[in-house]
Amino acid sequence: MDTFLQQLANGLTIGSMFALVALGYTMVYGVMRLINFAHGDMVAASAFVGLTIYTQVMGQATSLVAVIVIFLLTALVMAVVGIILERLAYRPLREAPRLSAVVSALGASLVIQNGIMLIWGPRMRIFPELVPQIYWDFDGVVISMIQVIILVLSLFLMVALYLFVEKTRIGAAIRASSIDQDAARLMGINVNSVIALIFIIGSSLGAVGGLFIGLYYRGITFNMGWQYGLYAFIAAILGGIGNIPGAMLGGMLLGLFNAFIAGYVSSTWADAFTFILLILILIVRPTGILGERVAEKV
Amino acid sequence: MARNELILTDVTKRFGGLTAVDALSFKVEEGQIYGIIGPNGAGKTTVFNCITGIYKSEEGLVNWRGEEIRGMTPYQIVDRGIVRTFQTIRLFGQMSVAENIMSGRHIKSTQSWWHGIIPTPGKIKDELENWKKVEEQLDFFKLSEFAATPVGSLPYGIQRRVEIARAMAVEPTLLILDEPAAGLNDKETLELLETIFKIRDKGVTVLLIEHDMDMVMEVTDYLTVINFGKKIAEGTPEDIQKNPAVIEAYLGSEDDDDE
Amino acid sequence: MKELQKFAYPIFFVVMAILPHLLDDRWQAVAITFLIFAVVALSQDIILGKSGMFNMGQALFFGMGAYTTAILNNEYGWSIIATIPLAIIIPALFGILLAGPIVHLRGDYLLVVTIGFNIVFVQVLQNNLGGITGGPNGIFGLDSLRFLNFDLTSQISVYYFAFVVLLLTLWVMHNLAGSKPGRALHYLREDQLAAESIGINTRVYKIFAFGLGAGIAGLAGTVYATQYSAVSPEAFEFIQSVLFFSIVLVGGSSVPGVLIGVFVMFVLPEIFREFATWRYFIFGFAMIAAMILRPRGIWPATFGKIPKFLIKENNHGA
Repeated sequence: MDTFLQQLANGLTIGSMFALVALGYTMVYGVMRLINFAHGDMVAASAFVGLTIYTQVMGQATSLVAVIVIFLLTALVMAVVGIILERLAYRPLREAPRLSAVVSALGASLVIQNGIMLIWGPRMRIFPELVPQIYWDFDGVVISMIQVIILVLSLFLMVALYLFVEKTRIGAAIRASSIDQDAARLMGINVNSVIALIFIIGSSLGAVGGLFIGLYYRGITFNMGWQYGLYAFIAAILGGIGNIPGAMLGGMLLGLFNAFIAGYVSSTWADAFTFILLILILIVRPTGILGERVAEKV
Repeated sequence: MARNELILTDVTKRFGGLTAVDALSFKVEEGQIYGIIGPNGAGKTTVFNCITGIYKSEEGLVNWRGEEIRGMTPYQIVDRGIVRTFQTIRLFGQMSVAENIMSGRHIKSTQSWWHGIIPTPGKIKDELENWKKVEEQLDFFKLSEFAATPVGSLPYGIQRRVEIARAMAVEPTLLILDEPAAGLNDKETLELLETIFKIRDKGVTVLLIEHDMDMVMEVTDYLTVINFGKKIAEGTPEDIQKNPAVIEAYLGSEDDDDE
Repeated sequence: MKELQKFAYPIFFVVMAILPHLLDDRWQAVAITFLIFAVVALSQDIILGKSGMFNMGQALFFGMGAYTTAILNNEYGWSIIATIPLAIIIPALFGILLAGPIVHLRGDYLLVVTIGFNIVFVQVLQNNLGGITGGPNGIFGLDSLRFLNFDLTSQISVYYFAFVVLLLTLWVMHNLAGSKPGRALHYLREDQLAAESIGINTRVYKIFAFGLGAGIAGLAGTVYATQYSAVSPEAFEFIQSVLFFSIVLVGGSSVPGVLIGVFVMFVLPEIFREFATWRYFIFGFAMIAAMILRPRGIWPATFGKIPKFLIKENNHGA
């Protein structure tokens, strides 16, 4: 029972991080039908940016206010990077075949990844201890403060995003653009602004995810974005691409599944099993668990 | 020896709560030019999709030459001699006219998968024969000068001809045309009319949907009129013109409904 | 221009035939890898370029061929040449098997599933399944080529082996282009519904494309195993699939396009090896620029290859 609860706790934590990152993928895909392969690297970059803001800007302060500022500044920086990314690598390809944008995304991924390496070096860096290292021991099940914060904050952000998309007018504009860009445009929606907005939101959420990754794993490397991004994208697909609650669900499920396989079966087979699960789900339910939210042209 | 007849019996197609085709029955006899007409949204293309395997109707029977084809895939139905064109023209845009028509020879070609890897004398012969058949269609439809032209760059009227040529390359027994006159000007429509007669002269049965009433009255032998998925009348063009139910259904829209 | 094109292929072949004698060891190795990657990229083109299926797992089949050769040679003592038929057939069968349940999936989902297959494959290799895959270090110490009692150990002979395999692949691609299955792939890529409605069993041809692409990639795997006398899992990781995927799209879905693609995506970074830290950074920008400037690839596919007798006098050519 111990292992189960422990893996549950771990799984939920990892799942929350996957979910935050997955949201960035799913929002961009929903409106632009584009797999933003550079997103994972943006998440990695966030950790490094956060590190630098901590050391250079905040003078290594760790008060609550300081930490909040670090989070906000990092999100801001990454949002700007996201806008630049969209303008440079994706907007010129709006009318091009879809796969061209995918290759452009891969190129952007290379740029960001190697950009990180050029600025911060190829070796692993240690992410600062922004959160007090407090642990609670429940009869053998260890839960850290970091885990609690990640879980609570992620949940809060996800609910906030969900309400934003479902209940506000701007959210409706996002949903409309996901269904049919042209029709949305004809209805007076400024699709360019919508796209800029989803990149801002996606990058910011990804930034928070990146900082969480730094906090949780402590060691960060320039190429950690690739693998992580891939998993998060899988999570988005799992939940139904374009579907925001789906990305959240997919992220959580993936995190849980990964934790349980690693805990119970074997960590060396964790990847393989995760992907086999994904493949089976897609064969049985091609539109993901909650169904995709993109219109199909029959 | 089964006759080349298409018989629909009580075919019903639903999309969720919407009944697009409602217990529709009609019979197309060999050698006819049969028309399906009705106001916009009446369900005509849906019926065609049910016949050609794009949809499977929920209820009813689709009988071709004594065989039940309801539920078969589109390519299986082509294999049995029924070929269709699309209302929106679905050609292979980047490819030349000749290559588009050649796609119609696919099902007639005797090549197997390994001929894609290794050439044999049989394959070379098969290629030549089929390109010759493409030439026949190019000549018949007066498309020879465009043989190497990418189809996407051609005017609409010519694209229509290519689509019909492609369908004819399959050497169908039943040709289904979905609004073939849509988007054509008067001269082109006249040419289309003559082409359809020539196709019938070749022994092909024709089933078509059309909005252009003048053309329908000229070219068809027999009609079924549909509204809201249900048959409201059937008969010769003369009968239909006088039928009160038909007139009412078309109230105010008896004119051409050009796309 | 047409005149130039007629001579382009013969010139290319002659240049490639004498090339190894002009290069030093390191560049010979690069040239061999160029040839091998060209074969894999052409096989990827069958699935991605011609059939339009978003396959990002071609390294899987490449690796299967390589490992088939390695295992048969290392465990069972088969000569390299003898392993070739199985190194083609086993990946081809896997290609057919794996394609079956997934070819109906929509583009991006298919993409993710092929990535998944690749990752599962690599993990199987790393975990030394059945004790024969050699774990993370792979299998080494393979025999060199033996052909008619000649031990072909030199790098130059490996080069010619690779060259012959490329020629064979080009021949197959040529046959595919002017055949019923080859055309069927183009039709189903352009408009699947129209293709089905004109009598093409699109499902069967999609699976065929996977099988053929897998088999050819497997053959390239044998050459790879011969080049290094070893195989290891990292050579077949999903990042390699991304490379092959990008080659076809950046270069374009044509033979010249793919060859250019291999050159741009693989040889160029080798040329700039000294700029180790900057080369991939710049390269990323180059990829973005390439797609913006040439969205369909540097040398895209062209159509309109029809028999001469169909092209009449006043023809509005392509």
